[in-house]
Amino acid sequence: MKDFDVIVIGAGHAGCEAALASARLGCSTLMLATNLDTIAYLACNPSIGGTAKGQIVKEIDALGGEMAINADKSLLQMRMLNRGKGPAVFSPRAQVDKNAYHTNMKQTVENTPNLFVRQGEAVKLTRNADGSFSVTTAVELTYHCKAVVLCCGVYLNSRTLVGTCVRESGPNGFANAKFLTESLVQLGFDVKRFKTGTPARVRFSSLDLNKTQEQKGEEDARPFSFVTESIPATKRSCFLTYSTAETKRIILENKHLAPIYNGAINGVGPRYCPSIEDKVVRFSDKERHQIFLEPESEDTCEYYVQGASSSMPADVQELIYHSIEGLENVEIMRDAYAIEYDCIDATQLNASLMAKHMPGMFFAGQINGTSGYEEAGGQGIVAGINAERYVHGKTPFALTRDNSYIGVLIDDITTKENTEPYRMMTSRAEHRLILRQDNADLRLTEIGREIGLVDDARYNKYLHKKQQIALAEQQLKIVVSPKVYGPLFERNNEPVTGAGLTVDEMLRRTNIKWKDLTELGFFREIDADALDEVEIECKYRGYIEKEKEAIAQANKLEHKALPDDIDYMSIEGLRLEARQKLNKIRPTNLGQAGRILGVSPADIQILIVYLAQRKNCASKPI
Amino acid sequence: MNTTIVALSTPRGRSAISVVRMSGDSAIDIAKKFFSPFPTKPNLLKVGSLHTKYFDEQAMCVYFVAPHSYTGENTVEFHCHGGTAIAQAVIETCLDHGAVMAQNGEFSKRAFINGKQNLTNAEGIIEMIDAETASAVKAGANLLENKLGKRIVDLQDRLLDILSACETTLDYPEEDLELPTATTAKRSLQEISSELDELIATSTLGKYAKYGIDVAIVGKPNVGKSSLLNALLGTDRAIVSEIQGTTRDTLSESVNYRDIRFNFVDTAGLRDTNDEIEMEGVKRARRAADSADVVLHVTDDPNDRSVYPTVRPQVRIYNKSDLYDSEPCCVDSLVVSAKYGNVEIIKETLYEMFSAKDIESSDLLITNERHLSCLKRAKAQLEEAIENCDRTTFDIVSNSIKAVWQTLGEITGTTAQEDIIDRIYSKFCLGK
Repeated sequence: MKDFDVIVIGAGHAGCEAALASARLGCSTLMLATNLDTIAYLACNPSIGGTAKGQIVKEIDALGGEMAINADKSLLQMRMLNRGKGPAVFSPRAQVDKNAYHTNMKQTVENTPNLFVRQGEAVKLTRNADGSFSVTTAVELTYHCKAVVLCCGVYLNSRTLVGTCVRESGPNGFANAKFLTESLVQLGFDVKRFKTGTPARVRFSSLDLNKTQEQKGEEDARPFSFVTESIPATKRSCFLTYSTAETKRIILENKHLAPIYNGAINGVGPRYCPSIEDKVVRFSDKERHQIFLEPESEDTCEYYVQGASSSMPADVQELIYHSIEGLENVEIMRDAYAIEYDCIDATQLNASLMAKHMPGMFFAGQINGTSGYEEAGGQGIVAGINAERYVHGKTPFALTRDNSYIGVLIDDITTKENTEPYRMMTSRAEHRLILRQDNADLRLTEIGREIGLVDDARYNKYLHKKQQIALAEQQLKIVVSPKVYGPLFERNNEPVTGAGLTVDEMLRRTNIKWKDLTELGFFREIDADALDEVEIECKYRGYIEKEKEAIAQANKLEHKALPDDIDYMSIEGLRLEARQKLNKIRPTNLGQAGRILGVSPADIQILIVYLAQRKNCASKPI
Repeated sequence: MNTTIVALSTPRGRSAISVVRMSGDSAIDIAKKFFSPFPTKPNLLKVGSLHTKYFDEQAMCVYFVAPHSYTGENTVEFHCHGGTAIAQAVIETCLDHGAVMAQNGEFSKRAFINGKQNLTNAEGIIEMIDAETASAVKAGANLLENKLGKRIVDLQDRLLDILSACETTLDYPEEDLELPTATTAKRSLQEISSELDELIATSTLGKYAKYGIDVAIVGKPNVGKSSLLNALLGTDRAIVSEIQGTTRDTLSESVNYRDIRFNFVDTAGLRDTNDEIEMEGVKRARRAADSADVVLHVTDDPNDRSVYPTVRPQVRIYNKSDLYDSEPCCVDSLVVSAKYGNVEIIKETLYEMFSAKDIESSDLLITNERHLSCLKRAKAQLEEAIENCDRTTFDIVSNSIKAVWQTLGEITGTTAQEDIIDRIYSKFCLGK
């Protein structure tokens, strides 16, 4: 078979979500990968989630994606970060088994109807006169499709660097893709070059664990996915250790050998993922740096050395690693390396991740200049959904800044040009109090259902949760006398007023949790996740309402659409920089226009007036 | 919810009446808090009392319900007596109840957004926005040049330090860094809070620098108030006669003393009278005193110890000193003879009293109402952030610090999300 509705090029975290979404929605879908052993390969750290990223994984899950389920299946340990800092930033993170993660995802894609999985390097992509696309692979087979999704990760023209040893290669020695960039340039895409890196993998048995602190997962951790019933206890531990003054000395002595400092690397590296040499040079007053040792898989004794990525020559890497506490005799199994790759300027895309000038062509993941498995997966599901909608002539689907981190992510990368790989952070989400990990299901399941990716089982479970919340909320109005709640309050250092309190008022107290109220006979029959939800909404009600007002205010501009045919260069009153930026990025609404760097509030006012004028002209007969 | 904006709609300065206009979702609710009786129906101009924190004042009020107003939003207008002081007090009262200062042309812009304006006005609006932009650009440039601007920029910068550190604790929970806790964040915020107070305090001086100092001359009939005004002005501006009640209406005139403007208001002599016109004059005199920055209480009796009843600061003036047999009884007063013109001491005293020296020499003054409104809002938000340090979790604390930073950014023009992230990475060593 050579004709498909959708072809997804790439089988990483973006590619898998895109292909699964497209196939599950009924499109015959081909997923092409340079090597089928790279399906959902965790090329860097063996973990899924973390701050802001954990929220994204839950959102993918609520929309009907696979990442959370696959992480639960492949779990080594689970932990909730930021406990104690507030629900807006609670962030789940899973350590996962790298091999299992790949195998489980591979099985899922293999068992998905409509989804064809094929090894092959895409070397040429062309758009045909009828708007369809043709993809030719290295073995000279050509496939045709109505929509194409590019999820090429870091494989385009990539090269890896270890000291002076530069190789034309993808991550971990996998073959790169040497020809596709040329097609992208011919199709009108601006290509830039980014860089990232990964640390060495070391042999577990060569670590001196006495010098490290063991970190297990949490005992009562909840699964990542809304539909996973339970997860196993910690299977493998992580270990914390530190670099030393010796590490610093070695790096400073050999600084001239690092490609990033001797000019061998052209790509722009992310500030949030610095190599150990970067850290030492840029923050020279810091005496030691944290190093986390993370298990790669149950099948292997390889451990990932988080905090020590490097592009130094291999012999210098050995010196550096041996200077880390507990790693004095460590055996390096795989070298740390830096990797450079081609990516596109994502401001050429709209919120559905389709190229503005090339209908039917979608992009997701690191090719868009982002970093991280979760960021890739979030874009992947959106691109896959939209590829299907494009093929079937439906309206595009877009997430928004007020309903999801994925919405924030896509808005950011399609609105602002990035000079480094984009990593999601909770600080980027202005409404993070609303975009919590606990309510991702409540925010997005309904949307996923409408799209068609949420199956009955998930949907019924979601309805059940809503029902449980409603039950709990009924109890909030019940008034309790001080005689009843007094002892509980005293024990928890909450002042007793002498007056009766409603359950709602009790739950609003800082030191009273829903679990405490079960002692008084409340909430006994209700599910824990529903009660978590009710408690957060109770304790933070004032702040949440304020946030909703802020959203309503912002939405006034978000809902003012900017027509496609505006010639910004001709609008009187706009400053030149604003004209150029607006013309290039062509925002879809005034809210997005306001977020473009170089467009001022005054420019937005001018646009408001312009729109009013335009509307007025249009309504008058000529 | 829409923010509610307020501004003076008539030209600033001397006029018979001034109109203060407020537009936005809460406009009517805000107005009801300090105007009574509030009109029972929309579109109806009703007389009532304005209750400001300085004085009560008769005025007229009309309200319009969305979308049937100029802006298409709920709108309230107050038609009050002329003069800057009254309008200023009404605006301040609106601000205290939650309105924010409107930007130039903002009423028209809102009218546009709400589809209430037609094409012919569009060019005018664009010009207005251009002007606003030009003045904002100029204000921005000035900000960096003057001390006030530098202090606001500095405060915002320090807030960004605190904010980015807080955000780092949230986004990088596992890093080995010295990051703020609620206790340390609170301490840093309190320092900023007291500096904001200092800045806000300069706004009164700023107002004097921009509009001058309003001085009401009051006293019984025939004590020489009009002569005093003439002497202060150095002209025969007011009619002077032996007849009690010569001055019927208030008369205001400005004079510059060492580059500071004093707006002197001569008033009718205070006495009980049945003359209807004179009664109105007395009423106006009292109103002028209540809205002035300072009252000159004039007497010609060296044994007079009376105090004029007002919350405003006052200075007693013993006039006609050339006729006194003995020294006046109160030493903390000024002794002058308007007839012989030795009135410079009054100007000198007023000048000292209002720290006018500071006005002249310092550029650390808030003269822009929008800036002041931002600073006050920032101050309120900062107080909330400080309270949050004790009562809630760190995610909310950080959010509330961000709100303060953004409000200051409305003055300095920098509120880009990227600034926070840039600061995080420039200050902290982060990442795997």
